[in-house]
Parts: sequence; C-alpha cells; structure tokens
Amino acid sequence: MRRLVVVLSATALAGVLLAAWGTTASARQQGPAEAAKADQRQNLPRLPANIRQRGRFNIAIKCDSPPFGYIDVRGRNAGFDVEIARWFSRFAFGKPNRVNLSCVTTPAREPALTSDRVDMVIATFTWTADRESRIDFSRAYYKATGRLLVPNSAPNTYLPQLAGKTISTTTGSIYDRWMKNCFNDTRVVATDSFTNALLEFRNGRADALMWDDTVLLGIATQDRTLKLTDDLFLPLPYGIGIKQGNTALKRWIDSRLEVMRRRDTFMRILRANVPARNLAAFARNILRPNNRFTYTPGDATSQCP
Amino acid sequence: MTPLDALALVWDWSFFTENADELLAGMRRTIEASAIGIAGAFVIGLVLGAARAHRVPVVSPVAAIYVEAIRNTPILVQIFMLYFALPQVGIRLDAFTVAWLAVMIWGGAFNTENFRAGFEAVPVRYREAGLALGFGRLSTFVNVTLPIGGRIALPSSINTYISVLKNTSLMYVIAYPEFTTTALQINALTLQTTETFAALAVGYLVIVWTMSAAIRFAESRLALPEEAR
Amino acid sequence: MSIPDWVGPVAEYIFEVGLVNTLKISAMALVGSAVIGIVLGTLLTIRFLPSRALIRLYIEVWRGLPILVTIFMIFFLLPALSQQLRIDDPLIAAALGLTLWGSAQVAEATRGAVQSIPREQHEASAALGFGWLGRHAFVILPQALRRLLPPMVGLLVNIIQNTTIAQVIGAPELLEASERQVERLTFEGQEHAIQIYGAVMVIFFVISFPLTRLAAYLEKRLI
Repeated sequence: MRRLVVVLSATALAGVLLAAWGTTASARQQGPAEAAKADQRQNLPRLPANIRQRGRFNIAIKCDSPPFGYIDVRGRNAGFDVEIARWFSRFAFGKPNRVNLSCVTTPAREPALTSDRVDMVIATFTWTADRESRIDFSRAYYKATGRLLVPNSAPNTYLPQLAGKTISTTTGSIYDRWMKNCFNDTRVVATDSFTNALLEFRNGRADALMWDDTVLLGIATQDRTLKLTDDLFLPLPYGIGIKQGNTALKRWIDSRLEVMRRRDTFMRILRANVPARNLAAFARNILRPNNRFTYTPGDATSQCP
Repeated sequence: MTPLDALALVWDWSFFTENADELLAGMRRTIEASAIGIAGAFVIGLVLGAARAHRVPVVSPVAAIYVEAIRNTPILVQIFMLYFALPQVGIRLDAFTVAWLAVMIWGGAFNTENFRAGFEAVPVRYREAGLALGFGRLSTFVNVTLPIGGRIALPSSINTYISVLKNTSLMYVIAYPEFTTTALQINALTLQTTETFAALAVGYLVIVWTMSAAIRFAESRLALPEEAR
Repeated sequence: MSIPDWVGPVAEYIFEVGLVNTLKISAMALVGSAVIGIVLGTLLTIRFLPSRALIRLYIEVWRGLPILVTIFMIFFLLPALSQQLRIDDPLIAAALGLTLWGSAQVAEATRGAVQSIPREQHEASAALGFGWLGRHAFVILPQALRRLLPPMVGLLVNIIQNTTIAQVIGAPELLEASERQVERLTFEGQEHAIQIYGAVMVIFFVISFPLTRLAAYLEKRLI
C-alpha cells in the first residue's frame, strides 16, 4: 500500500514538473511548429518546403565588411547583415542559430546563388539592374549612397573636378564600374578590400576615396583632417540576393523584412553594431516605421553626370 | 541533349573577339613585369650567389639573411608590404614598379641559392687549376667557376624564372592590370566564367610552355659536354 | 611598454582560426601531393607512351598554371560547368588546388629520383626474381623516396607559403584571418594594418625557417 502511494505521488510529481517545463519552454521560445502557426495567424507567406525540411538556412554573409558582416572581438560572425540572418532563423525555426553562415568575397556572391551553394546572400549586395537580370533581389533593406572622402584642403564639390585625379575604391564595386563608365580621364586604383583602398588614399596614391556614405563618415569622424564632400551619387540600396525564380523564398523574405520594419528591429540591430557617434547617420539609411525606400529602376552605373 | 549540345549552350565565341584587346594588353603587362623581374633575378642571383659561394665578408651574411627572409615568407605578404607598408616610411611605388620589384626580389633570393649551389658544385680541382695557371681570384671566378657553375645552376634557375612569371598573377591583389587581374575583372563584369578561364588557362600555358621550351633549348646548347644528351 | 588592448582578440583569432586553417590546408595538400605525385612519378618511368604522355600533360598543365588561377578555376569554374562539381568549402578548394600543383612537382621529382637509381639495382632485383611491382615496391622506391625527402620538406615550405593565395576565395587562412581583423579595427577607428601584416610575416618565418633548415640538413646527410 505504502509503495503504491510513493509510486503514484512520484508519477504525479514527475507529471507536474514535465507540464511546468513544457509550458515554460513554449513561453521561452517558439519551436518551428509554433513559429509556423504564428505565421498562419498573421497570414504571412510560408517558408519554402526545402528549407523547412532541412531545418536550417544556408546564408552567405561578409566576414570583412564592418558593420554589415565581420568577425567581432570574440571571433564570431557579427554585423547588421548577420543579425538579419539570425532574425530570419528566429522567424522560421524559433531559434537564432538555425543558420549556416558562410563567408563570401565580393565576386563569390552571385556564383554562390547560381550554384545553389546558399539559399540567400545578405552581404552588402547592392541592387543593380544588371544583377537583376541574373538573380532576384528582396526588397531594399539598406539605403547606401556614394560619397567621396578627401583631405580638408580639397574643394567641397569634387565630382566636376575629377579629370586627371586618382580615385581609390574596391574592385568590382558599383563605384569602380561607374568610374570606368563615366569618368574616362580619372585614374582608378581598385583594391580588393576597403582597408586597402583606404591605405591607398592615406598613402597619397589617391586624391580621394569613393565608397558608401556611412562607412566613410565613420572615418571622417575619427580623423579630423579628412572630410566628406557634398557630392551624393549612386543611391543604390542593398538587397538580399536570391536565386532567380525562387519566388516563394522572395515572398517569405519580403514579408519578414516588413515585419522587422514595422517593429523597428533594424534600429535594435544597428545599436548593437555601430558606435554611438555614427548611429544617427546609419539610422537614416535603414528601414524604419517612418522610413521606407525602394530601388530606382535603370542602370545607375551607366548614368553619367 | 548530347554533351556537345550542353557545351554549346555555355560557350560563347564572341567573348574572345570582344575582349581580345583587353586580354592581350593584360598579357603584355604580364610579360613586361616578368621580363624585368627575370633579368633582375638573374643578376641578383649571380652576384649574391657568387658572394655566398666565396664567403665574401659582409656581403655573404647579409645575402644569407635576405635569402632566408624572402624564402620563408609568402610572396603575397611581401607584395602587401611593398605596396602598402613602404609608403608609411615615405617610399611610394606605383603598381607596375611593385609588380616587377616584388617578383625580382623574390626570384633573386631563390636564384641566389641556385647559383650558390651551382658554384659550389664546381669541382675544386678546376678552381685550383685556374689559380695555379696564374688567374687571380676574380679571373678564376669569371673564367672557370662562372661558366661551369652557371650551367649547373641552369635547371633550377629556369624553374625560378618560370615561377617569377607565374607569380606576377598575384599582382591581382594590388590591381595591377596584368593578365590574371584583367581576366578576373572581365569575369566580374560579364560572368562568362567558362570562357574567361579558358582564355586565362590557355594564355598562361602558351606563355609558360613557350618560355620553358625556349630556355630548355638554350640549355641544351649550353650544356657541358659530359652532360650533353 | 604594455601590449595594447587590440592585440589580444586579434592574436587569438589569427592563431585559433587563421593558423589552424593554414595548417589544415597544408597538411591536406602535402598528403595529396605526396600520394598522387609519387604514384604518377613512378608510372612516368614506365616506357609506355600513352601513359607517359598523359602524365606528362598533367604535370605540365598544373606546373604551368599559376596557383592563383588553379584555385580560382576550382572554386568558380567547376560549379559553372556542373552542379555536381561544386566545392562549398574554400579550404577544400584551396587544398585541392595546391594538391594539383604539388603533385605535379612531386611527380617530376619522383621521376628524377627513380631514374637516378642505378641500373644495377634493377638488374640485381630482377635477377633475384622480383617482378616490376615487387622490384619497385621493395628495392627502387625505398631508395628513391629517401632521395625525395629533402625536396618534400622544401615542398611543404612552399605549400605553407602558397596557402596565402587561398585568401582570394575567402578561405580563412592566416592572411585572410588577419585581413578580417584589420577590417574590423579600421571600422572602429584603429588602423594597424601594417603591424598586423608584419606579424603575419614573422609567423610564417618562424614556421618555415626550421623546415628550410631541416631540408638543407637532410640534403647534406643524404648526399
């Protein structure tokens, strides 16, 4: 009789503990099934079947382009783009680590999609009409503008005076292409990484450094002998690269980006990845409840001023 | 669909006509930088190799340090240092200069070892004979050691010169528009990967094989009688 | 003089990720080069024109192409030709590229080493009843391999240096790892590119110099 009581109470206790653990678990995080149900409640597009079956995303990111994709002080992948990848993982599978992040270099981004190496590329991937003909892009998620970094002694409007000057930028970038298309009498030194392009400029081999507004702003803020000119050009936003024809994934991505925009998630991500002094500048370029932007059709790199 | 059809789908002959100019210009720059690099590596190897073989004071140990420093570090980092680090001490070299200078310094180090081994392989009795005949030390070197040792060093020197040419492809990282850089830039713009790499591979093999054949022909002409085959 | 703050995390990443991957690539390439190279080099000594021609072609192609081009082709051209040929991991692609080049070098060296074994060895072992395979396996190759040891150590040094070429496909070897740290620091406003590249040179030197000395020592001992 006593043994029966002991066994019954032990079972009851186990049952209570199990139920408690179960409810707290689901309160802590949604599993994939719960995540899917949450989607249905909000009428959001479903995750494509192949990714759902795999249980993980394969996403290509940058590992050498702060603040979007880089290796942080602890040796882990970090950055604005990387955080977006982790949010996608949360949306799809309930946890931020259901994603295989692979580092890509700039020229490897498109081949990574066309050869099915990855599901998507979130790697400072600027939208261009030319690229659109070979791959698909999500909606714009980061608005970058081209700027020029010059010494303080240079004029404030530099674009009209580029003849005979030397500009440094990165190989294969939209700036590289624009320079080659539109500025035939300007020398371009293109390097394979941003720091090397900056070194070119600092070493005096280039008169100006051409790149994305916010990164250059960070440099100018640190170094009082440098400034950005007033020229604004090539307002080409970043998009998430997707294999051409994968409309199901594109719909899923666009919908989740919209969710993040409405919840101001991008601002949260920005705060964790950008020094406070540059936050305001970057904040103007991200999707926010009161800030939308989209791609301008046409090939900007062949539109010469 | 036969395999040949599949190949035709991805092959575009017009790629070659459109990009021939740029690719040939790139090839020309590769050959230019290589030629200067090889010539320089020859001179450096000869002079420093002789210094090392004869244990010339001051020059020999310095040469040894030079050789070990260059041979035990990657040429890519050497290129980085020449291009990005030197300006910080005021020496600003343009991409073309770094292109031939980097491969010259690299080739010279390896060649020094080649020539040193060659000179040291000259049988002592030849040198003694030269000295006995009244040649001074320098004369002995020029008339005895150099012709023989130089020929012994020829095969390994040839390998070094060919490596110098292949290493100019690394100028990709400083965007000197030699053959590889040019081809990869075209690939980045047109994404015609198959055609680009076909051109790149064929181009290099043609240059390297021609150079190889030419030097081996010269080697056979210059061979020592006992080694002539 | 105290060590600046930025050095610690940078050094940790460079050693734990960069150096480890460099050694991984080098090990894979060395083993691959040795195995393939010795087999091909031995086969090259057989007087059978078709096999000699093919192996000769293999050697001349992979020695004639710059390693940069080979690695690019493996990483970018293979997937363009066929989905099945895709190599996802840049480390593997780099190791494969280095193996193709290295095996060509080893094959050539093996041919020279095997052919330098005096005829008497062949004749004596044949007289003792060894067939071609037995002769080569038990008599010729052991002697030839001993002569190969110095150049193999030299090859290892070359392979270690050449792993830096894999940086262009983003393989996280030593140079790429240092570049990633450099980029992070630049963004944070600290520019230490030159010191970091200099340190990378020193690391390579420290690894390679003893091996070079070893190769020289082995050469002296075996002559």
